[in-house]
Amino acid sequence: MKLTFKPSPNYRSSQTTTGIMFDLTVCLLAVTVFSVLYYGVNYGASYGLRVVIMMVSAVITSLIVDAIWAKIQKIDIKEGILSSYSWITAMILTLIIQIDVSPYALCVATVIAIVFGKLVFGGFGQNIFNPAAFGAAVIMSSFAATKSADFVTAATPTTTAAAYGWIMNTETFGSYVTQYGGLGKMLLGWYPSSLGSTSAVLIALCGVYLVWRKDIDWRLPVCYIGSVFLITTIIGLIKGAGLWYGVFNVLAGGVMLGGVFMVTDPVTNPVSIPGRIIFAVGCAALTVIIRLKANFPDGVLFSILLMNMMTPAIDKMFDGNQIKNAADFRNKTIICSALLALVSVLVGSTVQAKEVVPEPAAPAAVEGSLGSIDFSANNVEVTEVSNDGKTAVYSCSADGFGLMNNMGAEYGRNEVTVTVDVAKGSVVSVALDNFGDTAGIGDTATSDDALAGYAGKTLNDSVDTVAGATFTSGSVAAMVQAALEAAAK
Amino acid sequence: MSFLTGPMHHHLEGHKDLTAHKDVLILEEPDDLYIPLVNGRASCTPLVQPGDEVKVGTKLGEPVDHWYVPVFSPVSGTVVGVEKRMSAILKPTDHLHIKNDHKGTSVRAFEPFDYESATREEVLEFTKNAGMLGLGGAGFPTFMKYSKPENIDLFIINAVECEPYLTADYRNSMENASLMKAGALALLKLSTAPKGAIAVKEDKHDLIDVLNKTFAGTPIEVKTVKDIYPAGWERTLVYLLTGRRYDRLPAEAGCILNNVSTCIALGDAMINGKPITHKYVTVSGDGVKDPHNVYCPVGTPSATLIKACGGYTAEDCLLIAGGPMMGRAIPNEVFVIGPANNGLTVLQNKEYKTVKCLRCGRCTETCPSGLEPVRINQYEKIKDLDALKKLDIMSCIECGMCTYICPSNIDVTEGIRRAKRYLTLQAKK
Ligand code: SF4
Ligand code: SF4
Repeated sequence: MKLTFKPSPNYRSSQTTTGIMFDLTVCLLAVTVFSVLYYGVNYGASYGLRVVIMMVSAVITSLIVDAIWAKIQKIDIKEGILSSYSWITAMILTLIIQIDVSPYALCVATVIAIVFGKLVFGGFGQNIFNPAAFGAAVIMSSFAATKSADFVTAATPTTTAAAYGWIMNTETFGSYVTQYGGLGKMLLGWYPSSLGSTSAVLIALCGVYLVWRKDIDWRLPVCYIGSVFLITTIIGLIKGAGLWYGVFNVLAGGVMLGGVFMVTDPVTNPVSIPGRIIFAVGCAALTVIIRLKANFPDGVLFSILLMNMMTPAIDKMFDGNQIKNAADFRNKTIICSALLALVSVLVGSTVQAKEVVPEPAAPAAVEGSLGSIDFSANNVEVTEVSNDGKTAVYSCSADGFGLMNNMGAEYGRNEVTVTVDVAKGSVVSVALDNFGDTAGIGDTATSDDALAGYAGKTLNDSVDTVAGATFTSGSVAAMVQAALEAAAK
Repeated sequence: MSFLTGPMHHHLEGHKDLTAHKDVLILEEPDDLYIPLVNGRASCTPLVQPGDEVKVGTKLGEPVDHWYVPVFSPVSGTVVGVEKRMSAILKPTDHLHIKNDHKGTSVRAFEPFDYESATREEVLEFTKNAGMLGLGGAGFPTFMKYSKPENIDLFIINAVECEPYLTADYRNSMENASLMKAGALALLKLSTAPKGAIAVKEDKHDLIDVLNKTFAGTPIEVKTVKDIYPAGWERTLVYLLTGRRYDRLPAEAGCILNNVSTCIALGDAMINGKPITHKYVTVSGDGVKDPHNVYCPVGTPSATLIKACGGYTAEDCLLIAGGPMMGRAIPNEVFVIGPANNGLTVLQNKEYKTVKCLRCGRCTETCPSGLEPVRINQYEKIKDLDALKKLDIMSCIECGMCTYICPSNIDVTEGIRRAKRYLTLQAKK
């Protein structure tokens, strides 16, 4: 019989950190499954499989990194993995990137996120930056070129919104949002985006579950998402964008996913409650500013990374007895949050809407055989690059939507290189050299898929136009026509 | 809970059913008793010599200073002498060894006392001579608390008993309601408050019924509080009942508090002329075979109580004087039950896997003192004196909540104790 001494208390709650991480894993898995379904059903099994491959390779990478780290630290490998929780980082990272990121880039980013985002700071609990956001930033800045052309989706709401300058009047918004099946559909999540941020409803359910399990502080998602909503609603009202604007900003892009899974990361947000509120409001304010001003596809990741840097200062601000300093802490919270939101509203309302409307129906109907259409309005120019009698290569340029409608200085000519089989009088390939129309709208007509559709076409064949991008389609068809005609001479 | 702070309390699994509804085990009085000659903070000078015959109720010792809490004999028998024994605070302390003659002859320590006809000063004097002290664990002499009450508008009787496992106060109150009533009304008179409240956890329905009947027609009202920890701590209880917070003493919030077993003890002294000679002690936990409330004389060694409850269930146990949250684990069985002890918690020694702090802030949300245990631990590690001073560490009551709640199983409370020691040391320099 032995009586042991241990310092009091000798009583512990059943909640454990590993349990919290397990709950998170379950939620992230649910989001992943939804993503696999969405891409599988909408784009085909290979897309669904792609999501699975990306997730699995990122998670395995994270486990390997943790295992190696454990070896270096001379601790048991299983213990190491189970006290570092890097698979969560890998899962979140996978869910915040898009399907065209190559698994290779994802794995490299996972390693960088875990090693430089977490382990060099001393491992789990010590890191300053949210490691998943860190990894995604690495992908955005260094791996843009490795995007795979085999996995293209329709433009995501955020890239399209960025093309519009993130602010639209009510009518523009109407036609814009119908592309994604309306706000209702965006809520349910059947639209392309980053892998995980498709379904707002599912993410919200995960949030409710995590709050119920006391795994995350409800104030964080509520303050973050609520502030994004409030700030953008006010901007929307100031800019005459309509009441939908706040809703749209919450549903589009990573706000929901970030609000539930990233802003809530306890390691990198402040420990005190007032601190967390300011953190969440700060993230929201920066998200909106980055979206509207920097005109990035999305501001969620960078806002979190920026606020992560503020965490130590915020923690310092609220050091002390919370009861004795209650009034002081309350005032600080109110003033800081109000200032952050105000700055965001002010900056946001200086944004000018880009005068962008979806391309109307083209003046020249692209109907009948390619040779029979009149493309004179496109001002096509053709230069022969080479011609050996068998194949000829032409560099072509033509006016597209922007120039034909005098949309402004940021628009230019569309340029392609057309390779022609001289004997057959048919197209071998069309490659895009310059795109002068509206990113996120016209470029559906110049996607690799769309251009591949010209292969084998002769002047006698008819061509397809891409709905919503008829002008751009027309300019491409005009250039192909011109190249074929030049080869026939 | 407010939007800007956490709840500052938390529901704990109480395990009270292990003992609450079982009959109290009346302990066969041991042959040898060791009465601690320390009450609260002050040590007593013995009033008896080795070889003296004593009876139940004989005054054995009296403190010399103003911290006046006399000590009485719980049994009849012969004084063997003063011995040093390990006490429940792990210090060798003087204990008076008495050989029990099992005759149980007693003297009436006090004359019957009628608090209703007596003046407030007489009641105060009686309370002092009867050796009344805070039986909730603090051991503060009762008469001192009531010597100069000012602007008190609420007298609070604390029957919350928020420590897990402990049900001694509950059993004691169930069985001695009339003594409780007398004691409570006497203390109400001392407090000068116009009204009183007896606070009890809302899930103890049978006790609430008993209390409602007992206090019907008196200025004392039964108030229920939620089953949360530490609802029985003075500050939390005052806040729960009045919504007021105070800086140093509850009197600042117009309140004065006493534990329910103190009321019962005072009632016993006034009506039966009996000082605190016996205690209800909860012996519970997964480390003891047959958990029970035991009625035993003061001075009973803990080993005797464990034996009476069937012994240990495992080879490696923690023997805790008090409840598992604030009680101390004592690595021996020699310590005895003192007047302020009301429980022994025996738990099987389990290892908890500790991982790194994930900065979840749960300790901050639940700390009843409004501290930030995670920050204190952080700064304690790097010994940042200035930062530690800002964190108001001395307000920590070592309630244990931060360790309890920590999902990473860190000994957070122990880190705060280290910080306290460090600060005290630095202050001395
Ligand atoms: S032990 Fe101290 S710091 Fe920890 S919760 Fe209790 S009062 Fe707060
Ligand atoms: S409860 Fe534990 S893990 Fe959470 S902040 Fe406090 S010490 Fe860290």
